[in-house]
Parts: sequence; C-alpha cells; structure tokens
Amino acid sequence: MLNKFIKIYLLISSVVITQSVFNSYGLGLSRTSFHSSANGAGSIGLIPSFHPGVSMDNTATWPGLDYTYISGSFANQSHSIKKSNIQNQASRFNKLQFVIPIIDRYALGLTIKPLNNQNSFFRTDTLMFNFDGTNIFSSKEFRSGGGIMEASLGLAIPLNRNMGLGFTVNHLFGSSRDEQSVIINNIYYRMFNLRTYNGSTFDFDFAGLLYSDISLSISTYARVGMTNKSISGKLYKFNFYEDSNNSYSYDANDYPGDLVVDTTSTSNIYSPNSFSFGVNLAFKNDLNIFSELQMWNDESTNTNYASIFNDKIGSKFHIGGGFIRFGNLNARDWQDKITFRLGAYQDKYSLIYTGKSLIENGISVGFGFKFGASGNQIDFSFRNGTRLITEGQKELFKEITIGVSLGDLWFLRRRAKQ
Amino acid sequence: MDKSLKPFFIYSFIFFVLFASCEEAAIPVDSNLTTTPLSIDTVSFPVINTISYQVPPDIGSHEFLYFGKKDEFSFLYNLIRFSSIDSTNLYTFNYYNDSLIIADSMKLIMSFVSDSLEQNVDFQLRYFPNHGDSVFNELLTNYTNFDQLSASSVISSSFMSSDSIDSVMTQLRLNFLMDTTIINVFKDTSTTSFNSSFLVELEAENSSEFKFFSSNNLLNPPKLRVYFRQFLSDSVVLDTSFHTYYSSQDVSIIDKPIISSTDTYNLSVGLAKGIRSLVMVDMEGWELPKKSIISSADLVYNRISNDTLIGYSVSSYPIISQADFTKFNIFNVDPYDVELNYLSSAAIIDNQLKISYRKISTEFGRGGKVNYGFKLQSSLINDPFKTIQFHNLNSNISLPVLRVIYVK
Repeated sequence: MLNKFIKIYLLISSVVITQSVFNSYGLGLSRTSFHSSANGAGSIGLIPSFHPGVSMDNTATWPGLDYTYISGSFANQSHSIKKSNIQNQASRFNKLQFVIPIIDRYALGLTIKPLNNQNSFFRTDTLMFNFDGTNIFSSKEFRSGGGIMEASLGLAIPLNRNMGLGFTVNHLFGSSRDEQSVIINNIYYRMFNLRTYNGSTFDFDFAGLLYSDISLSISTYARVGMTNKSISGKLYKFNFYEDSNNSYSYDANDYPGDLVVDTTSTSNIYSPNSFSFGVNLAFKNDLNIFSELQMWNDESTNTNYASIFNDKIGSKFHIGGGFIRFGNLNARDWQDKITFRLGAYQDKYSLIYTGKSLIENGISVGFGFKFGASGNQIDFSFRNGTRLITEGQKELFKEITIGVSLGDLWFLRRRAKQ
Repeated sequence: MDKSLKPFFIYSFIFFVLFASCEEAAIPVDSNLTTTPLSIDTVSFPVINTISYQVPPDIGSHEFLYFGKKDEFSFLYNLIRFSSIDSTNLYTFNYYNDSLIIADSMKLIMSFVSDSLEQNVDFQLRYFPNHGDSVFNELLTNYTNFDQLSASSVISSSFMSSDSIDSVMTQLRLNFLMDTTIINVFKDTSTTSFNSSFLVELEAENSSEFKFFSSNNLLNPPKLRVYFRQFLSDSVVLDTSFHTYYSSQDVSIIDKPIISSTDTYNLSVGLAKGIRSLVMVDMEGWELPKKSIISSADLVYNRISNDTLIGYSVSSYPIISQADFTKFNIFNVDPYDVELNYLSSAAIIDNQLKISYRKISTEFGRGGKVNYGFKLQSSLINDPFKTIQFHNLNSNISLPVLRVIYVK
C-alpha cells in the first residue's frame, strides 16, 4: 500500500514543476539545497541544519545521526514576473533519502533528487500580416519541461575523533523536452526536441570540529564536487507537424502522415565542478551562526543541447549565512523541541555566451519539530526572493517546503549492559 | 518504523500530493527576446503555363444510365455486366447445371428514374456469347475503343411498363425476357468466368433523354433474374422461384462530344466532354528548409461564369511527365499519368476553387519529386454533363498564383 502511494506521489510530483523564465537557459537553474531543513536556513546543505552536527545534504555529517532516517522533502514554488502580472505555481518533491548511521562513526545513504528544472512556458504577442490580400494572424509558444535527476550513494567514514569524510557517487539521468510552436490562424505547428541524460559525478564532503569548549564550538565544512563522466545523451529532433486537433501530441489526425526524427548522440553537455566551504559557530544555548560560499562551474563544451534561449549557465557563486537554533527532543516544553532557522543568500549565475549575470537574492525562514521516540522530524521552510538578469526580466519567487523524516534504530551502538 | 506512524506518513504524502496544484500561465515574451530561428515565411509562385485537353468521356462512375440525347450529348448504347453470384452470395450460374434444377427463363430489369413518361419507345437487348470473360470496363470503355458489332443479334426487346414493387409503390421498368438459349450460354462451364454482359440500346434513334438507375445507385441497380424450378423427387417439384444478380459494372457510351471554343480557350473540366486541364507553376529553385512544414499551399482558380454552382468539386494531381502546353490536344487515352497519392480536391465556393497543394509542394521543396505541373479534372461525383471554365493565363484579371505559407 505504502509503495503504491510513493509511486503515485513520484509520478505526480515529477511532472508538476513550476515554470520560470530562468529555467530556459541551457539545462536550467541548478538548485543549491534540497532538504527542507537546509532550505529553511538558506543553506547549501554544508553546515548542520537538520540536527546538531548533521546536515542531510552533507554526507560527512551523517554519522552524527541518532537514528536511521527515511526522509522526503516536498516543495511548492510560485514564480511571478513583476512587470507582466503573471504568476505560476506548482509542486514537486525535492528529495527522497534513506540514511543509515552505523555505530556513530560510519554512515551509508541513498538519495534521489531532481538536480535542475527546465519547466517553462512562453508566448509571444499575436501579429498580423497580409499575404496577397489575406490577413494572417500568428504567434509563437515555447514550452519545456523535465530535467536531470540524480541518484546518489553516499558513504561517511571518520578521519579522527573530530573529523569525518564523506564520499558520494552520483548517477545523473533523466530526460527533458521542449516544444516550439508557431500558431497560424489558431492552428498549431509544433516541433519537439527530446533530450536524454546520462552521466556521473562524485562529491567529497568534509566535516571537522576545529574548536570546542563549554560555551562555543567552531566547525568547518567543505565539499569538492567533480564530474566523473560528463553527461552525454541523445537528442531527438522532430520535424514540425500540424496539430490539427490541438491534442498537444502527434496523432493520426495530424499532418504530415509521418513524423521524421533526427537522432543525435551528444557528449559533454554537462560537467559540473564545485567547491563549497562553510563555517558554523555553535553556542551553548543551542544557537548556531553559519556562513557558506560555493563556487560552481559547468565545464562542458558541447552546445548542441541549446535551449529556448540560446545560452546556458556556465558558473555560479553562492554566498549566504544565517542562524539556527536546534530543538531538543528531550525538552519538557514543546516549544523547546522546535528548531528555528533563518538565513539569507545570494546566487550569482553567469551565462556563457552573452556574458550576462543572473542574480538571485533570497531570504528564508524555517522550523522543525521533533516527535516520537525515534527522532522523527517534520520541517517547514519558506523562502522568498528575486531573480534578475542583466537587461532582462525580474522574477519574484516564493517557495514553501515540507520535509518529513522518520527515524528508526539500525546498526547503532547499544549501551553496554551494566 | 513505529507502526502507528505509518498512517501519518501515508496521510502526509496524500496531503502533499493534493497540495500539488499547478497553475500554468504563459509568460509573455517579445519575439526578439528568443534567439530561436522559428519563423513564418511566405512565397508566391506564378502559374506560367495552362492548357486544356480532351479525352474520351468519363462517366462510368455515374449514378445513371442514359439513352437518347441530353443537351449536346448523344448516347449510343449502354453496357451492363452482372455479378456472377446472386444477391444471397450463394448461387452462381453453375447452380442451374444441377439435374434437379430447371432454369426456365431470365429477365433483365432496368428501373426508370422518373415515375412518369412522356413517350414510350422500344429498347432492345444484345449480349456477348463469344466474348470470353470480359467485354468492357466501365472506367475505360468509350466510343473510341468499343465495337458495337461484337455484340450478338437482338435477343430481347422491351418497352417501359409499370411494375409493382410492393403493395403501394410502382415503378417504370424495362423488362427484357430471355429464354433458355441465353441461360444455357450463361451457365456453360467451358468459359471459366463468363462475361455476363449485355448491350442495351434504343431500337430507333430518339432525341429525347431516357434516364435509368445504374449500378452506382444502391437502391435500384439493373437486375438479372433467373427463374427456376427445383425437383425434390421424381414426382415432387417446388413452385417457380428466382435468384437475383445485380449489375456490377455499367456505362453509357457517349458519341464523340462537341467541344466549344470556350472549352478550349479557358481552363475547363467536365466528365462527359472528357475535358481536363493542365497547370504549370514555376517553383524552380525553391527549397523548403529542413524540418520546416508548409502551413498552406493554395492555388486559387476563378470561375468565368458567375451563375450559382453548388456542390461541384474538382480534383487535382501532380503529373509525372512533361506535358504539352502548346496547343489543345485530343487524346484517345489520357497520356498524363499522375501521382495518385497526392490527390487534392476541393469544392467550388462562390465561383472560386481553392486547391491545396501542400503535400506535393513539400515534396517539390525537398527535392523528392519533380514538378511537371498539375492536372485538373472534374470529380466523379459531379454532374458529368456540366463543364466548368476557369480563368487561365489568357485572362488579365484573375491570374492563378500558388501561395505558400510555411513555418521554418
């Protein structure tokens, strides 16, 4: 029964991803955080945001978990274009994760998450022209959707008593499609491109406690992300067809009677490399102050996967910081069981061809609540921000995420019998 | 996992799924904002050659059979072939070779279209006992390729009489009675598949029009009835019964039609006159960009006459060989074969005929076919005796032009 729900959930959530102007540059925007606990703090997932000493997005910190967790995060996003009075919203899952801490020193985890988002829908104004005495009305539409999924296997190992390493292998897969339509006198002429993705990356995570006394502890976190096998794929380019019955898909009623498709194998279309660094100051009253930065580059060279806007995101620089006050599962008052998070960040994307910059500024707030005897946690976050491209449109976005993490005891060191 | 938490987990997912509302409004963008090469293009191709030509009449698919004269058309005779198996799909003529079956007589019935008659005349019937398995083809046979003398002498005569078709209705019919001599030829097994064909004609030339239903009329096609008795034993015989065989092909043979100067001067089409036309559009050098699609490729022909015309349609095909545009030609067989898969037809509306050449223009634009021109001919469903004229290059007010809109 549970499996059925998860399948339905995955099916629905995988197709409802809100559209944004900025999803149409190359492979779309890549998210910086996935778990709702990290979202609430505006974090990129390096510093602990789920539990003291633990980030669900940082493999090196997983041994700090008290329980084995199955965790899912779900997001509802809305985007609006300020000058056009257009608002779109949709929902999707951000992350599904299964993490097993092993005797407080090791951890193993499986994760699946959507890495980027290409959902967009544009329409031009209707224009009229006269052709030998006949008025022709025309407009254009552009749609795209889908993106790259990432399935990961992570392993955390200790370096020493205060430091740990995490190693994650990521398999990147999935598909996307875009549709370009010309509408002539209300008849749609559609052209599809389908793209598949296949590749792999790996991440090295680091977590280290640099200093600790009764009132303060200082820890640092780092991640090096590298491409193992640059993403390759197949590009299926279909000829135009007349969607005579406006069914959005090619069928027997459409013209022409057969649809020709060109298939191209393409390699080196996505090669992300990144370096991330974070510092966290934990005070004795459970208050944490953190700061993070990230430098991300896509070093792919193949431009054959050009998107609706013939450009792609080549690099990103992230800087952010915030506060987190962790709740205590064993606290007597329910208020003390709540984790509060607050953060602000800036992502600056650079486009390869035009050299334009895309700046995303956001603030976020979140809280988490522990319940049950096995460390179950539900996290909520709200993020609000803007995206602005040089000489382009300004987009406002809001995002609410909900994360549910259910804990259980697996492979944990039991107390020695007295 | 704590079992009590499982429902919570499930309900959380249901909540999330229900929360997954999707609001999808298009984001307006300026066409210049995107750098996609998506665009609409138009091109007009001039018609550079037009000509009409004549072939023998083509009325084999018509719903009626004619005798006498209609307008400027004279009908020589009618040819009718009957199916070799009866209406129940059980009995061929070989059935009457059974020693217990006695076929007494045979009757050919033709139903008159009208229920009243201005004058009654005699008709006569011939058949083709020495013609093997085939006598004519309703789509190909005409006055140029059929010899009336190949038929037998007259085997039966008839004039129109009123027959009861049920307790209320009557119908004017021709009933040609035939005796066992004819039946014996039909049931003779020495010819593998006997032609079962007849020639029907007026006994004397007549200037009136006599119109009967043909095999293309499903209610009253020509019928051939074989009357027989069946012996159950030496002393027991059933009452006379009959089997009905329906006409499978029939055609009225028209004498050579008269062509007027209006027909030859303009772009003309007509079935009974056998008038067809050719149009050459100059598309030389045009290439349709790869992956693009033609939205419309219409050639508009303007009718010369302004009278009201309803339900007249014209078919057009690309021809597959060089055509003679220099003069009006008369052919016994149409020399211009066509690409049947690229048929395009349209009805004349408000005295304008707009034919779509989208499919074949795509082939021309991609280099898949060579443009030798288009053939125009009247559709088979039209009144075959109606000839339609369109403006051609001789007209200086309504030049036909092929207008193409395509998306690239």
